[in-house]
Amino acid sequence: MDRGQIQDKVKEIIASVANIEPANIANEASFMDDLGLDSLSLLEIGVDVDYAFKLGVEEERLQQLRTVAETVDLVEACLADRPEAQAAAVA
Amino acid sequence: MYDRDVVISGTGVVSPLGDDPARLMRALAMGSRAFAPVDGFDFEAAGLDGRDAAAIRDFQPQTYLGDGNLRPLDRTARLTVSAAALALASSGWDDEGVRSDHELGLVLGTMFGSVHTIAAFDLRAQTAGPKYAKPLDFANSVINAAAGQAAIWHQLRGINSTVAGGPTAGLKAIGTAADTIGRGRAEVVLAGGAEELAFEAWVGFAACGWIAGSGAGSNTGVRSNNGTRDAGDGPQHGAPHPVPFAADRNGFLLGEGAALLVLESDETAAARDTMPLGRIRGHGSAFDPSRGHDPEASADALARAIRAALDGAEMNPAAIDLVSSSASGSVAGDRAEAEAIARVLGPEVPVIAIKAALGECLGAGGALQTLAFLAVAADGEAPGIAGLERVAEDIPLTNVSRSRRRLEVRHGLITSLGLDGNAEALVVSGGIS
Amino acid sequence: MPSSAHSTSGSASQRIGITGIGLVTSVGTGREIAWHRLLDGTSGISPVRSFDTSAYSVNLGGEIHGFDPAPFFEHLEPATVGRASQMAVGAARLALRDAGDLQTAAERCGVVMGTTSGEPREVELYNDEVMGGRLAQLGGGFMRRYPCHAIAGTVAAELGLAGPNSMIPAACAAGNYAIAHAVDQLRAGRADIMLAGGADAFSRITYTGFARLGAIAPERCQPFDRGRKGMVPGEGAAVLVLERLDHAQRRGARVWAEVAGYGLSCDAHHMTAAHPEGDGAARAMADALVDAGLSADDVDYVSAHGTGTPTNDRLESRAMARVFGNRTCFVPTSSVKSMLGHTMGAASAIEGAVCALAVAEDRVPPTIHFESADPECALDCVPNVGRDMAVRVAMSNAYAFGGNNASVIFRKVA
Repeated sequence: MDRGQIQDKVKEIIASVANIEPANIANEASFMDDLGLDSLSLLEIGVDVDYAFKLGVEEERLQQLRTVAETVDLVEACLADRPEAQAAAVA
Repeated sequence: MYDRDVVISGTGVVSPLGDDPARLMRALAMGSRAFAPVDGFDFEAAGLDGRDAAAIRDFQPQTYLGDGNLRPLDRTARLTVSAAALALASSGWDDEGVRSDHELGLVLGTMFGSVHTIAAFDLRAQTAGPKYAKPLDFANSVINAAAGQAAIWHQLRGINSTVAGGPTAGLKAIGTAADTIGRGRAEVVLAGGAEELAFEAWVGFAACGWIAGSGAGSNTGVRSNNGTRDAGDGPQHGAPHPVPFAADRNGFLLGEGAALLVLESDETAAARDTMPLGRIRGHGSAFDPSRGHDPEASADALARAIRAALDGAEMNPAAIDLVSSSASGSVAGDRAEAEAIARVLGPEVPVIAIKAALGECLGAGGALQTLAFLAVAADGEAPGIAGLERVAEDIPLTNVSRSRRRLEVRHGLITSLGLDGNAEALVVSGGIS
Repeated sequence: MPSSAHSTSGSASQRIGITGIGLVTSVGTGREIAWHRLLDGTSGISPVRSFDTSAYSVNLGGEIHGFDPAPFFEHLEPATVGRASQMAVGAARLALRDAGDLQTAAERCGVVMGTTSGEPREVELYNDEVMGGRLAQLGGGFMRRYPCHAIAGTVAAELGLAGPNSMIPAACAAGNYAIAHAVDQLRAGRADIMLAGGADAFSRITYTGFARLGAIAPERCQPFDRGRKGMVPGEGAAVLVLERLDHAQRRGARVWAEVAGYGLSCDAHHMTAAHPEGDGAARAMADALVDAGLSADDVDYVSAHGTGTPTNDRLESRAMARVFGNRTCFVPTSSVKSMLGHTMGAASAIEGAVCALAVAEDRVPPTIHFESADPECALDCVPNVGRDMAVRVAMSNAYAFGGNNASVIFRKVA
């Protein structure tokens, strides 16, 4: 799964929580400032991203995410560390 | 009983037969019924044969709510928030300038909130692990979620309450809100009810034998706790869709919707120069400790609620021109409701039953019944009970509407008898009388 | 703001007294035992037993272990009703015993109960059938036990009470909403006796939700402490018997306290987060004081919502400061949630009982597990040790998901 695919999937998740089109989400968009999301929605995004990519990362790292780009970075890093997670995500 | 008049200054409705009261009433007058097969539920897993309900098809909340983020709202909340938008617009309370001096309240009746949201939250946690439970669904797992979401969406910062009670919840909510205004605690309160069509509720009602056609002898999976079949609620080969008060009624079909009235003190209504649609005159509430097991006790509870409502309104039974009943096709329920109405008002009072068209919409029912009365009072035309050919012999009412007819009405009684003991009655006057 | 027209300081026919108290809690069942254990600072929190918590990062709960409903049921079969209903019947039965002979027709006795989740365990059982592929075998018990109004209905059916019956699922402020509703029913003359309370059963649904929000404390519940780490879900039920003072006097009933007034408001801000400036909470307190014909200076004790989450306690303190001003840190303000955990819809009913008893006996329970003060919670939280002190007026505050706020004021009966 390359960065572009990860980014598409992350945007799809954010789009469903923010109720906007994925195409309208900028790569650098901030969840709170640009997308108007609250902390509960951020938590929802963290849960959905973790679930979709089977990241299994520590809660704290998900809670620190503030932008689309940071989320894609985290997923990319986790998948690079864990090939089996990458396989699960692709499947 | 109220220290000051409580007027109805607006209404909002989302229903399977239309999202404005006029359209809904036209459909009722034409004898339309909302029952149709429902898609998207796993009927096979539940062993259910019957697939008909009065669902709202292609519900588009954004029509009323614009581009805001609807993801945090589940279906019950979307129905509620949409009906609230319509009610506020109808009453003029959507105007920021008008709003600035008052905190608006909301009292919402509902049976379940969203049992579907609650079940889906738990199912995800159980199948994926608690770590993957959905936070937004948990926020909506509380039964007052729809009322809270409506408050956030419409900035209703006054009294905010949710009242349960099965099908009687809507009348309880209206009665509670009217008390609040009538006794000077609030000026403007939205009141009514909402219920979504939830599969979990459907399966549960069918398992009790309360859904039309699901009684013993049918193939629709009616079992009691220990796996044996419940007796069910009457004959098994009745009309394809339930007809209140009919001889062959055999249970209800579920419906869904939301309906809200805007209630306010006569002072605020007068100050806004608004033309009231009607007035809440009194309400009464009673309970049958046998919870429906003793038919006589059920009828007695509703009769007591009706008398309390009339006492509160300081009106005689003879003053009531029309009853908007909660009769739904339930064998025991319709009979007990008819018995109570006949006992207090006499058998000749005209009676309508909109659940013939809208199904058992639970928490939304009482407010929808109230809207139907207001429409009759305004238009002078009462809808018939769709599908009714012959009133059952066990129904002691002689003036049940079979088809639409002219009817001049001023004062109405709204009745609701719950599935398990709750009884509620509301006296409403139409127009500015 | 409510108009002054309905102020309570009027005739005995408009003044409402509490004449019976029934408690089912994790520190004991029955008014006397629960009250004394709360005064002593006893914790009812322990590792969860009712379901497997190994997949969670936390494992504490305020469960009532070994609750036996049988002694409280004379007519219904306890197994045919849900756990919250069982606890509600227990509390109601105890409250009626406490109230003595009601000398009132069943039709004039009503019930109003509050809850957050009703009977969530029934949904869990439903889902167990779904996951086991047995949904087609679901029995009728689900629909008979699950709907939340079954709690108030079960209480009335078991006790034979035929007056107005209501269920108010106003989440974690529901107990106070129920008390307020009962007061209205009595003042309007719709009933002569109202049983008002709240009940919630411990459930994996509630636990999972709060765990997912990261709201559950890992080791203990420490409201207002600088090091507080969260709330602890609990369970329980409380029922109060309410009646007009003239009715209570006529039948010679003991009156624990008067319900002097209440205030309800909504933040209209967020489903799960309180208003950042404590707006709705402050309005509810202020309205309750107006309703009671009292000022903030008259309040001797506050039973806080005090869940123990970092945010709640900070914002609640801020809201209190808006109402009590410079006096805020001098008004003893404790949270029994430090001992019982958060019993959800039962919480403010239990805390209403606490306030009534504080007013009756001039004693207040502590906030336990208090170690270090938080400058953002500048309150006298009655740290660790209960206190004997004059309590003429007590205020009970409750806040809920959905932004619902409710304050009730209790006053000593002269």
